Amino acid sequence: MHFNLSEERKMLKESCDRLLNDHYTQYKNHHEVSSSEIGFNKNFWEECSEIGMLSALISPNFNGLGGTGEDIMIVFELIGKHLVVEPFLSSGILSITSLTNSKDIETSVLDEISSASKIYAFGHSEVDTRYDETHIKTKANYKNDAVFLTGQKSFVLNGDFADKLICTARFSGNDFDQNGFGLYEIDKTHCDIRSYNTIDGYRAAELNFSEIPAKELCKNSDAYNALLETLYAGAFALSAESIGAMEVCFNMTLEYLKTREQFGKPIGSFQALQHRMVDVMIEIEQAKSAVMLAAGTYEADKDTKYKNISAAKNLVGRAGKLVAEECIQLHGGIAMTWEYNLHNYAKRLVMIDHLMGDSDHHLEKFKLYSNY
Amino acid sequence: MDFNFTQDENNFRKEIKDWLSKNLSQRISNKVKKFQRLDKNDYEEFMKALSAKGWLAVNWPKEHGGTGWSNTQKHIFEEEIVKAGAPRIVPFGLNMLGPVLMEFGNEKQKKYYLPRILNCDDWWAQGYSEPGSGSDLASLRTKAVDHGDHYIVNGQKTWTTLGQFANKIFCLVKTDTNCKPQNGISFLLIDIDSPGIEVRPIITLDGEHEVNEVWLKDVKVPKENLLGEENKGWTYAKYLLTHERTGIAGVPNSKSAINHLKVIANKTYKNGKPLIQDPLFSSQIAELEIDLKAMEIFNLRAISSAESGKAPVMESSLLKIKGSIIRQKTSDLLRKAIGPQALPYISEQFDEGWNQETIGPEYAGPLAKQYFIYRKISIYGGSNEIQKNIVAKSEFRM
Repeated sequence: MHFNLSEERKMLKESCDRLLNDHYTQYKNHHEVSSSEIGFNKNFWEECSEIGMLSALISPNFNGLGGTGEDIMIVFELIGKHLVVEPFLSSGILSITSLTNSKDIETSVLDEISSASKIYAFGHSEVDTRYDETHIKTKANYKNDAVFLTGQKSFVLNGDFADKLICTARFSGNDFDQNGFGLYEIDKTHCDIRSYNTIDGYRAAELNFSEIPAKELCKNSDAYNALLETLYAGAFALSAESIGAMEVCFNMTLEYLKTREQFGKPIGSFQALQHRMVDVMIEIEQAKSAVMLAAGTYEADKDTKYKNISAAKNLVGRAGKLVAEECIQLHGGIAMTWEYNLHNYAKRLVMIDHLMGDSDHHLEKFKLYSNY
Repeated sequence: MDFNFTQDENNFRKEIKDWLSKNLSQRISNKVKKFQRLDKNDYEEFMKALSAKGWLAVNWPKEHGGTGWSNTQKHIFEEEIVKAGAPRIVPFGLNMLGPVLMEFGNEKQKKYYLPRILNCDDWWAQGYSEPGSGSDLASLRTKAVDHGDHYIVNGQKTWTTLGQFANKIFCLVKTDTNCKPQNGISFLLIDIDSPGIEVRPIITLDGEHEVNEVWLKDVKVPKENLLGEENKGWTYAKYLLTHERTGIAGVPNSKSAINHLKVIANKTYKNGKPLIQDPLFSSQIAELEIDLKAMEIFNLRAISSAESGKAPVMESSLLKIKGSIIRQKTSDLLRKAIGPQALPYISEQFDEGWNQETIGPEYAGPLAKQYFIYRKISIYGGSNEIQKNIVAKSEFRM
């Protein structure tokens, strides 16, 4: 038993961290990036691709260089640390996982993603889906050899600038059935798109479409399995991202406690604040441990994998909220400003709990997979 | 990263398990599982069996008759003895005094005392806390006055766990009062049979006798019973805190308590369905289970970093805090799981051989009592607040 990274993975981590340190200007520009025309920095996205940060998310079976739980954890912890708004979740983990779990996918499709030549987005949520896994109202209509989609998809990350969209749609059964839906690829030029910024500095879109041509990727139990894999991959990546962001919040707060003086001494000398910092520290270590376990069992049987990801996402949701709230409180007034960078991290930590299932959702799933 | 135990470690676990199944008596494990009172012989029977096997001193190096086990092996051993329902290995001689003797005792002391600990000839008690010195231990006032070849000791120690069974007590005493409190403390090894010592029971809120007061009035202690140097006792006392404390989180205990909780939540009913199917209650169990699983990994991370030579001081404090919260929360849910069945309190139920009918199911009897006594976990061994001070001092450098 050991918890160290292999030499190769240490190198991956170091080179990604270096690139992000040197080239990523997240600070004041965080919301400027998402307010730009495409919602992220395309040059930087290409640089990430060049150093293999995208290939690290793809299994060697699909011409990638990684794709294991550990690889995903490393990349996404750094994304959290540097608050990267580029489409690592949408065109990265969600699209990659849904495609590699579809049938007869050609490796060249994944190459388009890893080389940053095409941006993909993944659309599953609808306006009242909340976190339900199979609540799908968008219709797929098969006519002869072709299929056409009608409906709407909500909160589609990078849905406005993506070249390709993967979405879920139902061709039979009730709104909640596990059967009777498929994964389809559609072209965004056929969609009515309303794009917007998110409160944590990302870009998302509402998509409306009617009887537009689509390409089937998989359906029925294949689609259900691919969807679960995708949602869990996203939940896992976000959990790892949260760890990176929590650590930054903690360090910023610690630094502030040492330098900010009131009553003639650093506020960090007050026991009431020290003890709260230790509580925060404990929960970060706990969350980190849960994410490591999820990473270590990412390749295990599905029940174990999903159980541990749900545990991690639940814990990260609780810990992330604690870290965000406590770090703001321990800072005091300065943390309420737009100018001071903490709010970007705090917002991301809290909003991560609004993506791919919140802590309540994953507590229920944990019970399901633990046979309560 | 690798979350698996090695084949050797799995074999080791099996060896422990097999041995326990043959050598831990059913009589004792039944008492432990029913939370019945253990007497001196119950503890000693199990510890002597371990001693004969060479497995008693898990934290000792081989040269002193210890197992020389790795931290991972110790962890596996701790898990298995808890699972088997063994009484706890009384730690005062083995885990507290033993390592201090090895590091700071003279040859004569080591030669005399260590084998006696190993053979269960001596039962040691810990004489640290005093009525006026809890968290602020260095403020202790028990005084040892130099009388040439011996000291005369006066004072009072308290919270002396299982002191009623002890024949020896190691005490922190003041030998110099004209300096910083920490610099005037010495470490004495004292016979409890010495004239002037009286051990009085303290009955705790659960109605049980586990801890004691120890009164020392003009007790004569030969100078050869001074451990290490005079006035260096604080260093020796602190040495223990930096010593490996892999078991501090109580992971195996919490694991078995949560399993017990799930069993009980399957047997009690709400709205005609097992309580475990109640969304409100099961969510609380699930959250606890998630926290415990994370802490288990956190604990293993600390063990594995200790294996590579890094003393997990900060981790020990964090794990002690989280471990106490989880154990207390589990006992809280156990109490709630049985509803009004938590009320009956029949003290005789916890005596060996009691065979009358319980009120409600047998498992209900100890649960409220356990809940109350488990409040101690966040108080003893350096309260959670003291642990936070330790972390803040060592990690925040403020």
